[in-house]
Amino acid sequence: MTIDSTSQMIFGGAILALLCVLASVLSRRLGAPLLLVFLVLGMLAGENGLGGIKFSDFGLAFLFGNLALAIIIFDGGLGARKATFRVALNPAMVLATLGVLITAGIVGVAVRWILGLPWLESFLIGAIVGSTDAAAVFGLLRMAGFELKERTGATLEIESGTNDPMAIFLTITLVQLLAANNDSPGLSVLTEFVRQMGLGLAIGFAGGYLITRILRRIHLPASLYPLFALAGAMSVFGVTNLWGGSGFLAIYIVGVVVGNTSLPYGNDIHRFHDGLAWLSQIGMFLMLGLLVTPANLLPIIVPAIAIALILNFVARPMAVVVSLLPFHFPWREQLFISWCGLRGAVPIILALFPTLAGLEHSSTYFELVFFVVLISLVLQGWTIAPIAKWLDVELPPSLRDPEHLTIKIPDDQEKELLIYKAVAGSSVVNMHSRHLPLGEGAQLVGIVRHGVMIDNPAQATVQPEDHVLMLAIGGTTLAVGRLFSPSAPETRLEENVFFGNFVIRPDAGLQDLAQVYGFELPKHLHNLTVEQHIMREFHGKPVVGDHVEFGSIQFIVKDLDGNRITAIGLKM
Amino acid sequence: MELADIISPDRVFEHVQGGSKKKVLETAAGLIARQLPELDPNELFDNLISREKLGSTGLGKGIAIPHCRAQHCTQAIGAFIKLEAPVDFDALDRQPVDMLFVLLVPKAAHEEHLNLLAKIATLFNDEHRRETLRHAPNTQAVYDALVTPL
Repeated sequence: MTIDSTSQMIFGGAILALLCVLASVLSRRLGAPLLLVFLVLGMLAGENGLGGIKFSDFGLAFLFGNLALAIIIFDGGLGARKATFRVALNPAMVLATLGVLITAGIVGVAVRWILGLPWLESFLIGAIVGSTDAAAVFGLLRMAGFELKERTGATLEIESGTNDPMAIFLTITLVQLLAANNDSPGLSVLTEFVRQMGLGLAIGFAGGYLITRILRRIHLPASLYPLFALAGAMSVFGVTNLWGGSGFLAIYIVGVVVGNTSLPYGNDIHRFHDGLAWLSQIGMFLMLGLLVTPANLLPIIVPAIAIALILNFVARPMAVVVSLLPFHFPWREQLFISWCGLRGAVPIILALFPTLAGLEHSSTYFELVFFVVLISLVLQGWTIAPIAKWLDVELPPSLRDPEHLTIKIPDDQEKELLIYKAVAGSSVVNMHSRHLPLGEGAQLVGIVRHGVMIDNPAQATVQPEDHVLMLAIGGTTLAVGRLFSPSAPETRLEENVFFGNFVIRPDAGLQDLAQVYGFELPKHLHNLTVEQHIMREFHGKPVVGDHVEFGSIQFIVKDLDGNRITAIGLKM
Repeated sequence: MELADIISPDRVFEHVQGGSKKKVLETAAGLIARQLPELDPNELFDNLISREKLGSTGLGKGIAIPHCRAQHCTQAIGAFIKLEAPVDFDALDRQPVDMLFVLLVPKAAHEEHLNLLAKIATLFNDEHRRETLRHAPNTQAVYDALVTPL
């Protein structure tokens, strides 16, 4: 490769990346899914597009695809908060295993019926499109400024982080069976499954533990901590794959372990990987856009649309309903989870497997899968925000911790210095600093106004644009943080509209409430408290935003501490 | 039902002595019963206290809306109280309360009374109105600020 062509490549790649970043602005304005924009940009730059770039190196694409996926999944793990496992871990696990199996099965039958391919090959296509894309869903919801109910949000998040290993496992197994011309899978599939998942889990936990131990002990220049985490995680990914385990599962687990441990420079690690995950998304979708030959897509449009429709309207809802059966999710949330089965890069990468294994019909797989993903991105990507609104699964944005600075006090990893900005319209404005709900062990350090620390902050009233400095035990962030959230974009999501104006004690008796507010109380509820009633209705695992109704009165869970309800809103 | 239907200038009380939450509610029950002799101040006080036991009626931002049902009360009755000094009301935002709107409704339940309660709460969500009430120079000004429609 000459110096000149190297420079050309760097310039071309950089321009494409630049376009992608700028396109995110456009995507926000159009409400179009960002990943779709990247994919289309890649296709435009490709052989049938304006750029005319010819790229058909499936091997290279596979390498980069794996790398990018590993980083994205690692970042997903870093963001998974342990607290959400309470309501979401088990349902997400069933969705990620049984759910993928059901999806793959139904799509397989559809492929057999529509394209007339042999059974094994039909199921292979089902397996390839079996997993959902976390980044796609969450990028979209975050951009729209949505806050989902914890049960829904966390289930989707953990599911999409953990279902890739299952889809990958199914794909690899079917490819191997096809390559070996073996029609009776039998016991070997089961042992292979146990080995993949078992090794993935074991090495993931061991690796995560080791990495956090070292990160805590070692003294490095600050910028090298995130790099160490990345290199460590990628080593775990590599070694697990080499030993025949699921590297994707392992790296997800490493992410969860690292993300849930209090570490020096923990925030830097998060921010670094967030950026890197974005770069991976952009790179991967651009590359996949380049790789496909749009002209070849034309002949498979009709079957691809049929398969995509069956995937989104039959297979995914069935998988969700069956998988969530034991967990009694409210139907609105089940419907929303069904619609959030966005397919992303994983299926496209998996579609490269058959090609690399030298199977028949390989290019059909790739193009078919590419098209199915495209349809899913358009159809679901574009409609998720309005559907969330329609199904009522949103929460007020004030429940999210607003942006702030956290400084870990070195040598004492339990304490943090938090710096919040009081934006106009947030509820902290005009509050006397004495009334800040700091919680146990937290202290007000000072208030910076116009760049100067004011005298005697304990006697001050918070003004807009002030920066409030607080010292807190790690994890108390949320309680104080809420006050600094900007006001809601819509009246419907303002806190006192969403939760009602009054607050009820969880141990208030339903009968007493019925007397004051004059609603009919069914006989069997006479001796219950509000908390007991909500606990029963939501099978012991309520989340913020769950509500029960009596006539025109609603009781809404406003705050929780683990599984205990600590505040209930009363709405009329 | 509008606010003007349930409150009158002679049920706006200013410079009321605070002390404690309990004391404030007792004073409020007494003031209302003096205006409307058919009501029993002890019963009002008991009912207001029982309602507070289910959860504070403090809305935050220094406002509380104590409410309950009352015997011999034939239609909804409102009273507005401005305290001389703010008192702790166990409000969610932990801010002490300096203005209260007391709402009494008849024993017989009515959808309209719930709407009324919601309407009063919405009224006080408006920061501008809160400040007007706080700085109103006299009773008539307080009353006017209360009954101005949203």
